[in-house]
Amino acid sequence: MERDTSFVNINVLFFAKSRELAKTSRAEFTVKSVLIARNLLNQLIDRFNLNTISNNLILAHNENYIENLDTEINLQKGDEIAVIPPISGG
Amino acid sequence: MIAAANCLETEKAKLRREIAELQAALNAKEQNLRDLQSRTAASHLDPEADLQHATREQYATLNNDDIARYSRQLILSDFGVSGQLKLKNSAVLIVGLGGLGCPAAQYLCSAGCGNLGLVDYDEVERSNLHRQTLHTVARCGMSKTESARIALLELNPHCRITCYPRLLNSSNAMHIMRAYDIVLDCSDNVATRYLLNDACTMLRKPLVSGSALKLDGQLTVYSYGAQGPCYRCIYPVPPPPEAVTNCGDGGVLGAVTGTIGAMQALEAIKIIIGLGDVLAGRMLIFDGSSCQFRNIKIRSKRPNCHVCSAQPLITGLIDYELFCGMNANDKDNAVKLLEPEERINVLDYQRLMKTKAHLLLDVRAPAEFEICQLPDSINVPLAHVLDDSYLQRFAQQLESKELPIFVVCRRGNDSQIAVQHMRTRLPEHSIRDLEGGLHAWTNQVDQSFPIY
Repeated sequence: MERDTSFVNINVLFFAKSRELAKTSRAEFTVKSVLIARNLLNQLIDRFNLNTISNNLILAHNENYIENLDTEINLQKGDEIAVIPPISGG
Repeated sequence: MIAAANCLETEKAKLRREIAELQAALNAKEQNLRDLQSRTAASHLDPEADLQHATREQYATLNNDDIARYSRQLILSDFGVSGQLKLKNSAVLIVGLGGLGCPAAQYLCSAGCGNLGLVDYDEVERSNLHRQTLHTVARCGMSKTESARIALLELNPHCRITCYPRLLNSSNAMHIMRAYDIVLDCSDNVATRYLLNDACTMLRKPLVSGSALKLDGQLTVYSYGAQGPCYRCIYPVPPPPEAVTNCGDGGVLGAVTGTIGAMQALEAIKIIIGLGDVLAGRMLIFDGSSCQFRNIKIRSKRPNCHVCSAQPLITGLIDYELFCGMNANDKDNAVKLLEPEERINVLDYQRLMKTKAHLLLDVRAPAEFEICQLPDSINVPLAHVLDDSYLQRFAQQLESKELPIFVVCRRGNDSQIAVQHMRTRLPEHSIRDLEGGLHAWTNQVDQSFPIY
């Protein structure tokens, strides 16, 4: 079966520390529509300067936590990926 | 005339500061006296006399005062008399009486939670008052737990309040927490968050975890129900210290901590009386700048979690400051990156500033520079030093290697980072930072210079 390897535009939302590092709270990002979650994470880390928090963040796809980074995800145009590092202040 | 007026202003500022310091010292002494007095009586401050030893009173009926006081929530169909009784018989531990803990405690106490435990090692400061809604100007210098206790008893004298004015750590946490049904994480640091998580998991107590910074807030309930994840399931490893910002450096808005703190009280009440859907397995992300709430469905228990899985690797509390590489508080530690000859004392700088041509760079963020600044200082945020964009901006001045450069920031930490970086680019220049930053300037040179 032929794999769909077309590219799609998704919206990436940055929260807390990741917003500071990415210097924006929202960005459009072009990415393969079918890929391993870890691959997406690595692309985001490189593109948005997230290295210092690469092991300390939640990645959520349309408000759902991506539980296993080794699974394949299917992205549609306009999908939302949220980058959520912990906050510790209070 | 102007000089005389300035002198008068300085004198007034100095007196105000001295009075505030004396007031704080007085409060601390009064606190000491209260501690000593209550040591003989069965004390709300005595950790040994906590609720597990003194049996918690159990009520089967509401009295007339309860009915009048709680009438507006009693008539809620999902709440009712049985809910109010559960609340009256419950015990909640609040860790941290700051921006989150104050509103959380306020709502739990006024709603009729029968037993509240308050943990905080810190004392009230003026810079707390914009968000820590239980404390007052008159109680600066007092223990936060005691200050909160006074405010809460004014709201509801029927609440039994136990104060633990100490740092929660691996050796006292289990003992203190065991006596409570639910724990609220209203702390301000990573080490305490892991400590509370591990202890709650081991004691099988729900942990209502709130946090806030700048205009962001997060809220979820850990260790709730059979499938509910713990903090380590979501964040198995602590962030590196350089990725952690505290409220003192990043800033925070009181209405944001208030929003999250109030919701922590709501989740605790829901757990106690069995109302609605508890925020477990979901995380609420609050973005105050756009006023958007997002509910992210988070994972269930991580099968190989070190603490909450069937075969945990960690079965007792560990050293969390070591584990996180950070202290269990939100205070800044003095950084020591530079050698003494690479730094200048503020008094020496004051002597030199009027007589010798130089460049003074202030590396704080523009919002901080706007608050106060030294004469003739130029604002170059640290980021612009680190990305070398300052080289172009000051190309002309930097041509002469004879022009000494001084760097200043709030406390003398970022200025060291800046000097270290600038020395690699300008090895032949004289570059030094002002030791202790603007805080040292206020303390040693000019008492009327504002401190924040």
